[in-house]
Amino acid sequence: MPTALSSTDTTPGPARPGIGDVLRGWRAETRRAVGDVGPLLRFRSSGVRGRSRTTLILALAFLLAFTVIACWLPAYLPEGDERRSDVLLLLPSAYIGVLVISMISAAASGGGRELLPRDQGVAYPVSPTTDHLGALLMAPLNIAWIVQSWTLLGASAYVVGPRWTLPLALLPVFLWLFAATAIAQALAWFVEWVRRGAFGVLTVRLLTIFMGLVLAILIVTDELVPLLDESPTLTVALGLLYGSEAQMLPWLRVVLGIAAVGLVAVVGGALTAGAVVRRPPRDELREETSSRPPRANPASDLVALLRTDRAAIWRSVPLRRGLAVLALLPGLVALAGGLDWVMLSILPGLVASGGALLFGVNSWCLDGRGALWRDSLPVNPRLAFTSRVMVLTEVLLVVTALTLLMGALRAGPPTTSRVVAVVTCAVVVTVQVVATSLRWSVRSPYAVDMRSARATPAPPVVMVGYSARLALSTTLTGMVFGGATFAPWQWSVMVAIPFLLFSSYKLVGTAGAWALPAVRSRVVAVVAS
Amino acid sequence: MNAPLVQVNALWVRFGPVDAVRGIDLSVPAGTATALLGRNGAGKSTTMRVLAGVIPPTGGVVTVDGKDIRDDTLGVKRVIGYCPDVGGLVPRATPWEHLQLAARLRRLDHGWEERAREMLERFDLGAATHRVTSGFSHGMGRRMSVILAAFHRPRVLLLDEPFDGVDPLGVEATMEVIADARAEGSAVLVSTHLRELAVEACQDAIVLRGGQAVAALPAHEMAGEAGAGAYRALLD
Repeated sequence: MPTALSSTDTTPGPARPGIGDVLRGWRAETRRAVGDVGPLLRFRSSGVRGRSRTTLILALAFLLAFTVIACWLPAYLPEGDERRSDVLLLLPSAYIGVLVISMISAAASGGGRELLPRDQGVAYPVSPTTDHLGALLMAPLNIAWIVQSWTLLGASAYVVGPRWTLPLALLPVFLWLFAATAIAQALAWFVEWVRRGAFGVLTVRLLTIFMGLVLAILIVTDELVPLLDESPTLTVALGLLYGSEAQMLPWLRVVLGIAAVGLVAVVGGALTAGAVVRRPPRDELREETSSRPPRANPASDLVALLRTDRAAIWRSVPLRRGLAVLALLPGLVALAGGLDWVMLSILPGLVASGGALLFGVNSWCLDGRGALWRDSLPVNPRLAFTSRVMVLTEVLLVVTALTLLMGALRAGPPTTSRVVAVVTCAVVVTVQVVATSLRWSVRSPYAVDMRSARATPAPPVVMVGYSARLALSTTLTGMVFGGATFAPWQWSVMVAIPFLLFSSYKLVGTAGAWALPAVRSRVVAVVAS
Repeated sequence: MNAPLVQVNALWVRFGPVDAVRGIDLSVPAGTATALLGRNGAGKSTTMRVLAGVIPPTGGVVTVDGKDIRDDTLGVKRVIGYCPDVGGLVPRATPWEHLQLAARLRRLDHGWEERAREMLERFDLGAATHRVTSGFSHGMGRRMSVILAAFHRPRVLLLDEPFDGVDPLGVEATMEVIADARAEGSAVLVSTHLRELAVEACQDAIVLRGGQAVAALPAHEMAGEAGAGAYRALLD
């Protein structure tokens, strides 16, 4: 009869797996994780039906067609004096640009976009590797990434010119887009891993400040351009040239090198993603468990509503982080590039659009499941709408003001007409973006759990459409006010009036729609579901 | 018998091609509690949302405390207290901030704070008064939703699945809230699929199936094993 071991007996531990077993297990897990991406993608896309499906197919066809055009048409543009070699000199820095944009985008959203929203994904055994691969696939669904990629491909095609070797030459560029996205994703996971560690938030903040200081020193000492000239992305430009000259051996070496870097980044990202899930998101958890000192009772209905709407934004770690990035990044770019006042007028549109894309395009989702209760409270719906308008406007104006203050430092002497043009531009595009965002919020609400930093207020494909439309309209408006910097200041005010009237008209129309019980109930039911 | 505070005649609610509620009649007199019972998708929550003024009815007449819900939605919202079936809490606000918002919009007189604190303690949420609700468990959220529905002593109390995922102490506190509301002359409507708790809390019951009322009977007839059998038969 078996008996329990005595204290002097040695305990036979479980047999330790050999290296072969570990490798076999890892291979099986990886195969399974990769295999899970397909079903998850199909699950995600199954929610797009009817007209939305047709729109999605058309949008994807447009993206594909425009990519082909970006790769082909610039090659046939007239050469001009030394213009191709000028563009060639800028290419290595531009290749670095796509890496930086991808990294900031992925790091700011806590590790990139989710293939499956967190609240839907909890029921399924989705591995971190699958999550990582999903984030990689979703990374290009970002207007900044798309526009930058088109620019890179177009510039590269222009450098090559109309040759039969154009496809060969562009292959290293395509591979670089893949590798840069994979490296950015891996770095973003690493940043998230650090952030979730002990003193992680402080470490990331100090690191960001340090990098900002390094950048500032490089700019002040005129060392930035020489440094960019030494960038490793010079190899990608060489690959482009080898391809265009059909020098197959060196071209192949570059192609294989970039592909290897990309694959290593994918694997490294998967490993880091696995490490991230083993650490709890400290700052989010702290936010959810800490106490908020009570304030005096609100003095009016509007104040009461404003407090609730403001809390939804400023108490959200992901939104705060996103707004900080929006306030600082374009300002730093303006500082680094020494943008003049004409170019500064483009920034408010970019910042306001970015802010709206964080939450504004689906404003009522911030109430989450509390939307039903809020709508049962006895308050005029137009007042509740006014509160949303005010909060979105003030948030966008705050981040825009910070950006402009930073940009103004190196923009040259401020004249009255320049300052008035840029300030009126900021006000106009903010009201424009608020009016558009709230119209979309009422027309197309989505149920989103915004607790996750990786969630978007609308499905990723819809977000691409939203961001493209916002970027186009605000950039055009910015260009109008850029021109106004050369005119007397009164011109800027005169130009602003029709813009503001049109946006106000849109806002009034949306407020009227929100006041209709049938419309409001649909929005509330969707965001609370 | 007291005059009904809630009167629903031929209520019809349609969402696109789906008829969620198909001609429901019900009335809830002052000082009484009525249970809405039925399976998932029977139309209980939709009926409650209509009474809360959150969903407009497609057809029929709904009056709450004498006010037609179509003509005076805001007036109806002033006299009701509503605990929705899902969530019911704004994620980034604290319980106290929810109470402050509701107290302001309902124009509660100074002194509401004392009752609010008493209810928070009764529902064992005193320690979480100033924590954001996104960190709450499901049961805590349900309990807080009941407080928000009841703390202003509404004329009509609408509780949609108030017992769902709530611990025994929370259930007990909710039962007390319902009893207090009845004693104060309010009309209470409780939507639930937990038959035994509905029988304990209410004196009348209406069973819904496929968006229609298939039975209206005294709640005690649904008690015990015989009641369970009768209820089961009504669901098929």
